Amino acid sequence: MNALFAFAMAAMPALLASLVEMVEAMTIVLAVGMTRGWRDALLGTAAGLVALAAIAVVLGTALTTLIPLHLFQVVVGTLLLLFGLRWLRKAILRFAGIVALHDEELIYQREVAVLRAQGVAKTGIDWVGLTVTCKAVLLEGLEVVFVILTLGAHSTAAFHAALWGALAAGVLVLSAGLLLRQPLTHVPENWLKFSVGALLCSFGVFWGAEGFGETWPWEATTLVAILAVFLVVSWGSVRMVRRMLPQGAHIAVRNI
Amino acid sequence: MQLFKVLWNNTYGLLVDDGRLALGALAGLAVTGVLSALAPQATTHAYAGPVLLGWTCFLVVSNLYAAGRHALRLVESPAVHKG
Repeated sequence: MNALFAFAMAAMPALLASLVEMVEAMTIVLAVGMTRGWRDALLGTAAGLVALAAIAVVLGTALTTLIPLHLFQVVVGTLLLLFGLRWLRKAILRFAGIVALHDEELIYQREVAVLRAQGVAKTGIDWVGLTVTCKAVLLEGLEVVFVILTLGAHSTAAFHAALWGALAAGVLVLSAGLLLRQPLTHVPENWLKFSVGALLCSFGVFWGAEGFGETWPWEATTLVAILAVFLVVSWGSVRMVRRMLPQGAHIAVRNI
Repeated sequence: MQLFKVLWNNTYGLLVDDGRLALGALAGLAVTGVLSALAPQATTHAYAGPVLLGWTCFLVVSNLYAAGRHALRLVESPAVHKG
């Protein structure tokens, strides 16, 4: 298999998934930084990143040492399929107008209002700001860790590619956040989620079936064909759900 | 303790958004696994992948159809119209 193609196939989903999660974390960090001060927002971010690194080491070790080799592809395929289906379903429901679109500006304004209402610590460490940023980085980052570990689980090269993808997303989001000093509302979050969902489902089916003995006809190039199938079926599902609802109906619930 | 609870909920939430979809995917994988254990190797080599892919696509479409029907009921519900 072409090395560049293999690199891109592991780096791309990690890059796109990390963009989604890091934009969400950046919104909270910005809200804390702008309302309660940057020192504690950055301390909370650092604490969250340290905790994430520890979780990544524990989960990564468990994934590579506890699972028997003959079950490895099936387990990783199952995890990727479940994770991908969750993202894909949510993105389709958002495109169809059933679930509310993620609105970074609204989340930012709500967070700022909540943080202001709690007052500002006059001396010492501001535990509110620190805890809120630490929790946001930890919870959003958990999904990034999960994607890197599962995509990179089957080889060192794939792990490095996934890691580079996530790091590139980190640099992009951090640079944009520092430059703009406002929530990154122009990132097409739902398109990214839709693409990542389809990509992860494709990897899940590919590895899951390989673990059961499938020999794909064009080896890893088949991934592109599987991805095309998922994209067509998913977009068809968006249109199907839109047609089921009356013209102009917009439900925008939190979940369904 | 609260943080661990949040972490667990988030980890579970990473994989399961809609329980039926997750169970359907697990069932598809289990059936593919059982079939590939029982069927001759040549059959498994050729059909395990397409079976799993076809099942997953069916799962996506049927789950979203059910979600669409549920949403339609919400739109048509008198409580929503009164609200």
